[in-house]
Parts: sequence; structure tokens; C-alpha cells
Amino acid sequence: MTSIDHFAGFGLGLRRTHYADFLEGEVPVDFVEVISENYMVEGGKPLRLLEEVRAKHPVILHGVSMSVGSAQGLDEDYLSRLRSLADRIDPLWVSDHLCWTRTSAHNSHDLLPLPLTGEALGVVCDNVERAQDALGRPMLLENPSSYLTFPEDEMAEWEFLSTMAQRTGCYLLLDVNNVYVSAQNHGFSASEYIAGLPLDRVRQIHLAGHIPATEKRPITIDTHDREVCDAVWALYAETIAQTGPVATMIERDDGIPPIAELLEELDRARVIARQASQARAA
Amino acid sequence: MTALATRQADFMASLLDDERALPPDWTARHAAGLEIYRNNYRSALVEALRATFERTERLVGDESFARAAAHHLITCPPSGWTLDLAGQGFAETCEELFANDPEVAELAWLEWSMHLAFVARDAEPLGTEQFLEQASAFGEEDWAKLRLAFMPGIAVRDLRHDLKALWSSLAEAAEEGEVTLLAEPATCIVWREGERPVFINVSTAEGRALSEMMSGATYGETCEELLASEGEQAVELAGSMLRRWLHEGLVERLDQ
Repeated sequence: MTSIDHFAGFGLGLRRTHYADFLEGEVPVDFVEVISENYMVEGGKPLRLLEEVRAKHPVILHGVSMSVGSAQGLDEDYLSRLRSLADRIDPLWVSDHLCWTRTSAHNSHDLLPLPLTGEALGVVCDNVERAQDALGRPMLLENPSSYLTFPEDEMAEWEFLSTMAQRTGCYLLLDVNNVYVSAQNHGFSASEYIAGLPLDRVRQIHLAGHIPATEKRPITIDTHDREVCDAVWALYAETIAQTGPVATMIERDDGIPPIAELLEELDRARVIARQASQARAA
Repeated sequence: MTALATRQADFMASLLDDERALPPDWTARHAAGLEIYRNNYRSALVEALRATFERTERLVGDESFARAAAHHLITCPPSGWTLDLAGQGFAETCEELFANDPEVAELAWLEWSMHLAFVARDAEPLGTEQFLEQASAFGEEDWAKLRLAFMPGIAVRDLRHDLKALWSSLAEAAEEGEVTLLAEPATCIVWREGERPVFINVSTAEGRALSEMMSGATYGETCEELLASEGEQAVELAGSMLRRWLHEGLVERLDQ
């Protein structure tokens, strides 16, 4: 299993409404992240578009359906299709989430929370190792946002992620907004979470927006449908000061604005990362 | 079953069924969290159906479509890894729910078939000239034994309504669907031309012949069937349908 070198650029997720921007113009990004499953198809236009984008930018394959937390193990057809896509696109890396999405009978198509137990950790590590073997490369796993924890939890999520990375050799995709959302919902310190991670394993950071909790609905909802809030920018500054330069992107999944708005947000990330680098150098 | 498998099976069952009792050790806080996952699950799938069945939604209206989508998710919860297949069986759901408006199921079938054709395996169709070249030395027996491999993503179904008119009339939001009965039933063929899914209507006799050959029947067997059903018109039809399939780019190769 090879390692993944640092790649300290700034990127955006590829969304349908921005296809023309990426294909016909010059979007000032260092990489583009795509949802793997959208391109794990037999043929047709989606693959051609992705190849055109790949000819202009490095690409990251970001999945939502691997389900590394499934007690039933991984779907071999899924792995084989993802491997074919990775071989075709030659991505910077392949990532997915620390979550489960399916049982043997049904698929929720949502990132469901795992009990943070030793048993679940064993299942996740087995599945991540299987996936990395099938893909022939190490993966990045992303911390999810969550709306409930389980009575049987035995450890904190950052401890779970740390042990997973140490046992499997995988890397981490740190979604700073997700840390913030879960910290709000479960009452832990976002700073303690970040500091508890093996930051030398972080290869990418996601930044996104959420809906804050209200008195009537005391749960913060991770929507990825709006701009990054100030508290998440502050957490990003704190994080990037500790990690050093790391690939950073704005991840917008819904309420997609014109690309210029996302590029403005990305510029803010560039400024924060540059200030952190200067502070480290001083 | 392991503790994790049991927890996941219970969680999934609770996600799919609003009425299911929650585990005894769960609090109101857990229930509130679960409700967010339920909403996420439903809204993601309904949005996926909306994106795939855009015209069907325009035809029946937002509210009816939302009810049909919710019914479909209850009766056919997704099992595959791709959200793109969430619409599998939705045409059959429409057939059941809109039994008095059969054009709804026909349109849903068309949208689903075009959705599948859009991402079907890439292949080059066999042109008429290439076919004639390959068949130039055919004797009678070769023609009788001829089998064809058709382009990936082809779908075939009999229709009673003019889907061409309906499709065009629903191209824009806020347009009224133009529902017209065909003078006689026809067969719709869906495939992908380059990167673009397309469809045409042919006679039901030709549609049956195409279905048979797609299932592996020989040209000879198909011609015999045509002769039995169409009488003396069979010979002309056997030639014209083969010319059409080649001209439209439905055939990938000879499969002998």
C-alpha cells in the first residue's frame, strides 16, 4: 500500500450547474472533487464530462455509498466499479465517510451514525482494509456529522478515527463543519476533537454550511446548502494552524450558487491558510 | 447476529417505519435525532425520483407525485448502492396508483428507460453498409440463423398513448400535458444515439419481432412468427424492420 503525499491546494466540488464553468472556462482551483457514484456508470455523457474535467484539473473521487460501517461487509460490485473508475481517472485519492448506509436488505442513501464501540471499530477496520486492498491504494475517511449518539458508545469519535487510521493506514478527510455540527449536537469541544486526531494523517479539509439549532428544534442540522459560518471559519483557522498546509475545499451539496460565490469563499480559505503558514514560519 | 448488525437492522427498520417503537434505552433526544435521519432519507429519495421523472411530475402535479413517490418508497425501499436506481419499479407503482390514467405509467416507463439508456455501456452501432458487407455472402440458411446483438440500453414497450406529443408538451414547467390516444396501439423503442437518449414508435408487430430478437430468437424464427401473425405483409415487414433497426443504429453486431 503506497502512501499519500501532501497536496496543499484549494478546490471545489463538481456540481451539474457548474459543468459549463469547468468545461468552457478556466476555474481557478487546484483540484476538483466529484461524487464517485455519479460516475460509476457503464458509459454515456457523465464519464465523458468527467474525463474532460480531469484533462484540466486533478480530481478527487469522494464516495457516499461504500458503507465502511456495515456489519455485513462491503459490496463487491461497488468496489469493483470504484476500482475501474479510479483506474480510469487516476485521482489524487479516493475518499468516503465513517458511517454506514445499508443493511443486507435496504439502502438508506444517507450517512448513518455508528455506535462508537470496539466491535464497530473492528468492523470498520476490516472493511477499510478490504476496500484499500480492492482499490490498490490507501483511502481517506471523513468524519460525519451526527444527530444522535448510542447508549453503548465506548469512546469518543476522534479516538475511533485515530485508532482506525493507525490500524488500517488510511488517511483522514476532516470536515470542519461536521466537527462543529456534532460538537453542537453532542456537547463536546470541537477544539478537543481536532486536537485529539492524528493530524499528520489529515490530507484534506471540507468546509461547508449548516442550519443552527433553535429553541424549538435544539439540533444543528448539517445541510451543506449555505455559506460557511464564522464559527466554522474560526475552527478552520485553528485546524490549519495545527495541520500545516492541507488540501481544502468548499463543499456545497444543495442551494448551489453561481461559481463566483464559491470561489470567493475559497479565497477566504486561502487567506486563512496563508496567515496560518506565516504564523508558523514566524 | 452481532450487536452491531442488530443495532443497524433496528435502526434501518425505524428509519423506514415511522410507527415502529424505539429501543427502550432511547430518549426523546434520540427520537429527535432519528426524525432528522428519517427526513433526510425521504427527501433524498423523493428528490431523486423528481429528477428522474420530471415530466411525470408535471403531468400529475406536485402533490400527486409526492404521494406516489412516498408510496413507492414504502413499497419498494431502495436496496442498491446507487441512488440512480431508486426509480426502479416506479412505472409499475404509477400503473397501480393511476390505474384510470394509463398514460402516467407509460410516461414514467419512458422516462425510466431514457434514464437507463443515458448511462448504458458505450458501443458503436453497426451501420447498414457494414451489415451488408458482412451479410454479402449469406445463403438462405445464414439468414435463417442470423442473430443480432442490440445496442446497450435498448428498451421496448407497447403503448396506447402518443408519448411523442406528451413528451414535447411537457418539456417546460407549467405546460399542460397533451394526452392523446394513438389511432392504434404501437411499440415504443428507447435507445441512446451518441450521448442522447431517443425514442420512436413502431408497429406492435415490429415491436414483438424486436423483443424476440433481443431475447435471442433468430431472424428465421422471428420471420416465421411474423408470417403467422401478419400473413402476406410479413415479408415486406421483415425487410423494412431490419433496414430501420440498422438505419436508426439499434444493432451493435451480428451475434452468430
